[in-house]
Amino acid sequence: MTELLSKDDFRTALEDAIKGREAKNASFSLAWANGELKREHFARWAENHYHYVGPFADYLGYIYANTPDHATDAKDFLLQNMYEEELSDVRHTDLLIRFAEACGTTRERVTDPRNMNAVTRGLQGWCYATAMREHFAVATAALVVGLESQVPAIYRKQYPPLLEKYGFSEDDTEFFDLHITSDEVHGERGYQIVLDYADTPELQQRSLDIVRAGAEMRFSYTKALYDTYVAADLGPEGPKDSADADLLSLGTG
Amino acid sequence: MPTIRFVTSNAAVDFPDGDDVNLLRVAIRNDCNVPYKCASGNCGTDRVLVVDGAENLSPPRKRERERLGELLDQGYRLCCQTYAMGDVSITWDPEQKALDDRWVDKSLPSKADEALKRRWLSAADTAGAERMLESEAD
Repeated sequence: MTELLSKDDFRTALEDAIKGREAKNASFSLAWANGELKREHFARWAENHYHYVGPFADYLGYIYANTPDHATDAKDFLLQNMYEEELSDVRHTDLLIRFAEACGTTRERVTDPRNMNAVTRGLQGWCYATAMREHFAVATAALVVGLESQVPAIYRKQYPPLLEKYGFSEDDTEFFDLHITSDEVHGERGYQIVLDYADTPELQQRSLDIVRAGAEMRFSYTKALYDTYVAADLGPEGPKDSADADLLSLGTG
Repeated sequence: MPTIRFVTSNAAVDFPDGDDVNLLRVAIRNDCNVPYKCASGNCGTDRVLVVDGAENLSPPRKRERERLGELLDQGYRLCCQTYAMGDVSITWDPEQKALDDRWVDKSLPSKADEALKRRWLSAADTAGAERMLESEAD
């Protein structure tokens, strides 16, 4: 990319970078939405998901430290996002653990890093490395646009079956209900930070590349949950409409 | 194409047929000046009165029901918690603040303060300081 894109064109390009890589179309997500999973599968999901989202405020803290003083709105957004994860109401990881316990696992198992699989460990490491090493606008593109902004679309498909097909209560599933809406706003504000501060062709290109990579990381994490914990029960192929095979052929280049 | 009319700020935003869109996300993206703070259904700063098209909004879930209470019956919704699927018109008080007293009156202990005390200050932590103050008073 040699010319600076307009904000409208850049936003469209960012949205396009996620298309075809949405984690809502991965095998585990579809089996979840189709009502095919058992509580033990959700328990394994929670034991992995904790180690991806649990350090989210830590990731944002590294970005915050890399954000210059003049980018006050970006710093405020990051700080507010951290505050909401940890302190504004019930700590978000406690809501996740509440769901995990309803699935039959324990706080001790959820918080034990030995219970995540290798792909989850890779996603967590990628989040840390991106937050620490990338320009703050690029890191925001990765973690907020590439990962967090997908959450409402994922959970809006997964939340209703939790109540209607799997028989969980509204209290058990508050983690999902909360994120459907809060991440709409986090995602939108994340877009605004990236549109405002990725202000060179190089930063725009880097942001697009890392949004693609982030979306693929989340897709791969979600697919690996199926492969590791569900395939033995439901078959290795996954739901027929999953995008697992399509994603493997996309690449980031 | 359905339209969300932000009457108070004299703005209107169209969205594609068949989509459902979060009211606060649309407001932020299009600079419609709806006041908000937490965007998580806790503070109630983004409450709006639905003057038309209430039937085109998503049904209220637990968090919104708990926060709005009787205001829900009076036609209010929380923008952050509500999705539009068709035409809707909303108004609000541009100066409105949060519903929960703890968001408005800073002299009241916040949930964050309670969490911080639990996490970082125990009786054992402060006992030494208290003894020191007592001895200075003596």
